[in-house]
Amino acid sequence: MSLLDSIMAGFALVGNFNAFLSLAIGIVIGVIGGAIPGISATMAVALALPFTFPMQPINGILLLLGVYKGGIFGGSIPAILIKTPGTPASSATILDGHPMAERGEAGRALGMALWASCTADIISNLSLILFAGWLASFALNFGPPEFFALMLFSLTIIAGVSGDSLLRGALSALLGLLLATIGLDLVYGTNRFTFGDPSLMGGLNFIAVLIGLFAIPEVINMVWHPTGHIGKVQSLGSKWVTFADYKRCFRSIVRGSFIGVFLGSIPGIGAAPAAFLSYSEARRKSPNKANFGKGEIEGVAASEAGNNGVAGATLIPLLALGVPGDVITAIIIGAFMVHGLQPGPMMFVMNVDIIYGLFIGLIFSSGLLLIVGSLAIRGFRPVADIPKRILMPCVLVLCIYGVFAVNNNIFDVGVMFVMGWVGFVMSRYHIPAAPFLIAFILGPLLEDNFRQAMLMSGGSPEILLRGPITWFFWALTVITVVAISRGTLNKAREAG
Amino acid sequence: MSIRTIQVHLGIGACLVALFLILYGIPNWVSSPSNVRKIILSPLFWPYTIAGLTGLVGLGLIVFGRGPDDDDTPVNDPIEDPGAGMMRLAAMAVLMMVTFWAMPRIGMVWASMGAFAALAFLVRTRHPKIALTCAVLVPLVLYAFFAHVASVAIPQGNYVRLP
Repeated sequence: MSLLDSIMAGFALVGNFNAFLSLAIGIVIGVIGGAIPGISATMAVALALPFTFPMQPINGILLLLGVYKGGIFGGSIPAILIKTPGTPASSATILDGHPMAERGEAGRALGMALWASCTADIISNLSLILFAGWLASFALNFGPPEFFALMLFSLTIIAGVSGDSLLRGALSALLGLLLATIGLDLVYGTNRFTFGDPSLMGGLNFIAVLIGLFAIPEVINMVWHPTGHIGKVQSLGSKWVTFADYKRCFRSIVRGSFIGVFLGSIPGIGAAPAAFLSYSEARRKSPNKANFGKGEIEGVAASEAGNNGVAGATLIPLLALGVPGDVITAIIIGAFMVHGLQPGPMMFVMNVDIIYGLFIGLIFSSGLLLIVGSLAIRGFRPVADIPKRILMPCVLVLCIYGVFAVNNNIFDVGVMFVMGWVGFVMSRYHIPAAPFLIAFILGPLLEDNFRQAMLMSGGSPEILLRGPITWFFWALTVITVVAISRGTLNKAREAG
Repeated sequence: MSIRTIQVHLGIGACLVALFLILYGIPNWVSSPSNVRKIILSPLFWPYTIAGLTGLVGLGLIVFGRGPDDDDTPVNDPIEDPGAGMMRLAAMAVLMMVTFWAMPRIGMVWASMGAFAALAFLVRTRHPKIALTCAVLVPLVLYAFFAHVASVAIPQGNYVRLP
């Protein structure tokens, strides 16, 4: 199929009202979800996921991508207004956004956040379109040993999402790998940790685990500390962002976008480091560097460009290799699976219409984000005023319905509840949940490819180093592990 | 609890879990065909590997967590009355168990209405009337969507059935 044919096939799939409506609804949900502290873009995507089951695959996935993009921008709204990032990615936005809000320029800061977000989103989407196909055609040469080496390298992304302790991140990942072994053995079909219960033979339901891990702990946390969320909302002010502001910050926005694209295309780095790196680069290069941290609009622009630059780029490893680039794309992979689609190189052969449909949808998403975001900035206050002690019971009920709807199975609701407590205990012990989820997804792939490779070679481990592709990923893994170990040791030395 | 204490507790917990898995859990709860020639191909290999790594990470947590604890700053936000907090958590656990038990019996809609209202009062909402209204409306709206739009067979229970 030629490129033009692929584009036309994509247009045939998304060139209808429903597709664009799904995308717009997704962005609205994302902006609202991201804007409510405690919901976060991750939780908004997880909660929206069950609603996509009855939809056409392309519409459902577009809705989730809309939630993702809207959520990343939406996180900047509470970051600027109440000094509480709606998403971890918006942490850097607080540094200059909130001081601007304190001096009555919240509207100007939010406007710049929106413009920077949309610009970065366009750059990120174009990068996705340019690089994903190329990477996928390369990945078609992969066999089980190559995929095993890739998955092993992908597991090193856990270091990027482990927070302040690599060991706690590793413990979380091992727990995820362990729970992923539940069910029938992939090769021999024997029972592993099923306790004779047929409900466990298919393994733990992915959606139940992820919703349990990300949404329910927030509810339990509210039960533990019902007044912990109380804060104060600032006014928007009358000053608005101007084109001159945008022009002055344009360099930082473009630089931040490319930083976001680069970091986003490496699985596991995530939007928060990209935002901070973009912010520090903007500060280093800016003539107003003394104003950074005191309410400099360029700081807001750079942070938002950095975190939104990641949003499209994280889909590069997802679509091309089937490896989630961050936690949100790990959830979105669930939507692909529910609709019988397996992201990865074969998707570029088998479902090229969906791939190009997504590309087209993503290009339009930047424009929709600008419209929805402008309205959201003005209309956010009533949403922010939803009492959290009403919101959390809504979240609980939504989770119950959403998880049940995946397999029409009440057992999954029980799994979600249990995982909710696991997630709560993990949060109290400062064990990050993201490595758990990533290992839970990658674990079966890692084991499956390892054992297939071993079956191919009759048990000889030499096959794991059979060619340049495996050497490449092994080298990357070794370099990453060495870099992580050095970083950890340096940090330990600094801490004394 | 300081971060070092947490680290040591986690390390000890991880080592105990690893030992339990290696000595009891995997031999009893993972079955393997008797004709597997190489351990590397056995269904037992992966769980044993994970258990071994868990033990190693546990040891690492203990090693890095021990030593004098200079910083006693609690890592979690303190709450006014931890005793009451624990009671609320226990009530939440009971609420989840009751909801899980009630769903197939009285139906998902009624069970979730009860769960909504109970949770709203458990977190001491300042808007009881709104909470009760939402407790009725939210499950009904979700039922309407999932049952009539998404064609999901929402459990109706044995007593009051919805259209």
